[in-house]
Amino acid sequence: MEQEQYKNLEQQVTPPTPYFMNALKAFLVGGIICTIGHAITYFYIIFFDFTEKTVGNPTVSTMIFLSMLLTGFGLYKKLGQYAGAGSAVPVTGFGNAVISAAIEHRTEGVVLGVGGNIFKLAGSVILFGVASAFFVALIKLILVSIGVVQW
Amino acid sequence: MKKITYFFFVPFLLAGCSGNEKTIEVYDAFEGAEKRVEVREVLDRNDDIYSGTAIFVDNELLVAVQAKPWLDYKKEKIEKELTKQFEEQFSDLNVLVSADYKLYWEANKLKNEKDQKRVADGVEKLKGLVKEET
Repeated sequence: MEQEQYKNLEQQVTPPTPYFMNALKAFLVGGIICTIGHAITYFYIIFFDFTEKTVGNPTVSTMIFLSMLLTGFGLYKKLGQYAGAGSAVPVTGFGNAVISAAIEHRTEGVVLGVGGNIFKLAGSVILFGVASAFFVALIKLILVSIGVVQW
Repeated sequence: MKKITYFFFVPFLLAGCSGNEKTIEVYDAFEGAEKRVEVREVLDRNDDIYSGTAIFVDNELLVAVQAKPWLDYKKEKIEKELTKQFEEQFSDLNVLVSADYKLYWEANKLKNEKDQKRVADGVEKLKGLVKEET
């Protein structure tokens, strides 16, 4: 069989990717996750002394903690299979990436297994997050020093 | 199944459409009717906000407003504009204008408070919270 023929045959057999449905699912589930995040934001604002400016930190940590729990119970996996990027792009996906790597390597021991691999997936997020934050802050510092913008 | 979903979701979605009236409330410890009207007028004139609560206590004027949902990005500008207007009108008072939800929530709680001392303490605490950065 020629390569071209095989390609045609493969294209005929493979079911078409439901791009629209995938996007819709990601949109809905991502939206629901963000709505839960917003509810937590209001919870902290109303019941604790946080303002809109300061409430981001506790909200993010709570969302990550919740997704870590769900990952541990094996529920986030199901959500990920259904929603794809809708569950991976919000900050909850970060918690999932950390814990799933730890679970995967726990048989290799606590230090070399869990310790060595826990940031295997999330490490790049942290690295590029910190690095880009540094450069953005540097640019802002320069702009403030010149007098273009204010803090 | 689909019908049940629609049954629950449609009212949920439409709930956001209700209540377009502007609510402005003023708490005044000194019963200065004139000031109250002036604050109300300034807030009424501003088209970027949908709700506002003002509190006069001691030498303080706390104005907590809520920007319209699509104008959230203009919050700082709204705060600046209102602060300027109020500072011109009430030069003898310490003015604090905020579009933060925390201040709006607490101000609405304070406005029903009878004890003036508690209101003054509450306003002082909110002023500290606004300065908090982390």
